[in-house]
Amino acid sequence: MEENLREKLLKAFEGKLTKTIAMYLETCSRCGICTTSCHVFNSMPRPEYSPAARAEVVRRLYKKYFKLQGKFWPSLGEAKPLDDTALDDLDRAAYSCTGCRRCMTFCPFGIDTQQIMSIAKLILVAAHAEPEILSMLADVSISKGESIDLIKQGFIDGLERLEGEVVEKWKIDAEKIPIPTEVQEADILYVALAGAHSIIPSAAIFNAACENWTLSFFEAVNFGAFVGDPGKTRLIMDRIINEANRLNVKEVCICECGTAFRVLKQMSGKQSFKISSITEVHARYIREKRIKLEKNRFKGIITYHDPCQIARNAGIMDEPRYIIKHLTDNFTDLSKKPEENWCCGGGGGLVAMGQDSHDFRMKSSKVKADQVKATHASILVTACENCHSQLSDLNKYYKMGVEVKFLSSMVADSLI
Amino acid sequence: MSNEIKADKTLDLKGLPCPMPVVKISKGIKEVEVGQVVEAVTTDPGSLTDFPAWARTNGHEIIDTVQGDKEITFYIKRIV
Repeated sequence: MEENLREKLLKAFEGKLTKTIAMYLETCSRCGICTTSCHVFNSMPRPEYSPAARAEVVRRLYKKYFKLQGKFWPSLGEAKPLDDTALDDLDRAAYSCTGCRRCMTFCPFGIDTQQIMSIAKLILVAAHAEPEILSMLADVSISKGESIDLIKQGFIDGLERLEGEVVEKWKIDAEKIPIPTEVQEADILYVALAGAHSIIPSAAIFNAACENWTLSFFEAVNFGAFVGDPGKTRLIMDRIINEANRLNVKEVCICECGTAFRVLKQMSGKQSFKISSITEVHARYIREKRIKLEKNRFKGIITYHDPCQIARNAGIMDEPRYIIKHLTDNFTDLSKKPEENWCCGGGGGLVAMGQDSHDFRMKSSKVKADQVKATHASILVTACENCHSQLSDLNKYYKMGVEVKFLSSMVADSLI
Repeated sequence: MSNEIKADKTLDLKGLPCPMPVVKISKGIKEVEVGQVVEAVTTDPGSLTDFPAWARTNGHEIIDTVQGDKEITFYIKRIV
């Protein structure tokens, strides 16, 4: 590795080295409790798959370049140089971690391995060694933000094809638009994903609740966060913030996409509008009796997978259970405590990497499949597109014998 | 116009979850020669904004877009 590149990468490292992260890097006592908390290690018990070992890859660079000990006595504390081998190690560590933060829940010091892995990802981005597909997806999202005026009419035309299906789920007055866009002063700006399945059920529920809502032109997911590029993360987030401010909406509601919700909720700073997940909004509609649901329309045991980015990392655990309580009398939880639920194994950009990550995603998530099988559920419901894709793959791979469904879709199908 | 376009490869991207349509077109376009055309069939309304942005950032050309009742068909020429 050339010296100027190394300097550039270390500058990126230093830029992310907050006091909190420095504390994480200083305090690991190698107690090993995190090891058994990681779904990857539990499914594939290899030393490099323990959270502490992943963090150690970054920690050794920290010792080498940011501690006197590493500069003068590198053999002490196993300080390592930042070279091409280190980049390979950073890639293996960062992309074998889904950022689920289950390890942080169990760590006696509360060390956030996801934050340490964000340094690994940042160094990879600075070295242009990140997964190409994730950067490409982030660039596409940013390009949409720059050219939305040129392409939004096509999107509006595409929405018209869906209107019939929305009305089929919930009839509205003829003069109302089933999927409104560009509504100034709307109470809710709904940010969906590209697929019709992310728009149709939600539109029906908004209409059933007589909501004053409008659909965003942008997709909710933030690929900048997946690839660990703070600049791209901000640009992608700003598209939605600018749209919400332009329309002067009261609330931005993020669809069933865990990363999209967590990033906007926790990283966008103070805004003039409220930021909610669609699960919170649906629970609110039920609580306020704005929608009614037919109970037990779905037969068999139903279980719920808590998306890590919505539940453990953003605290939305009661709302989905409140909704499910109105859908069935036959619910069983996957774990005693929702915050200790196993990750689906598809986070951190792994699902977006498609077939390239399939083998690892399947093998590293055996504990998740075992957990689902133990419930004997016939329906596995979740509230995240990423989790839904991964759980569907796991369902096929491990023959879990469940139907994987979106919570919003079950709500829409149960509207009365 | 689409009747006159001869596709060298067809991709069925109907009903795929996010972000697979863009992931698969990115891989699919590399499987044809420069100057050849990929026909991509989707059901996602979001593809109507995603695909033009993808083509622009990756230097390819959408030569036609056909919206049917249920499906959207893109004809994309590989440029680079």
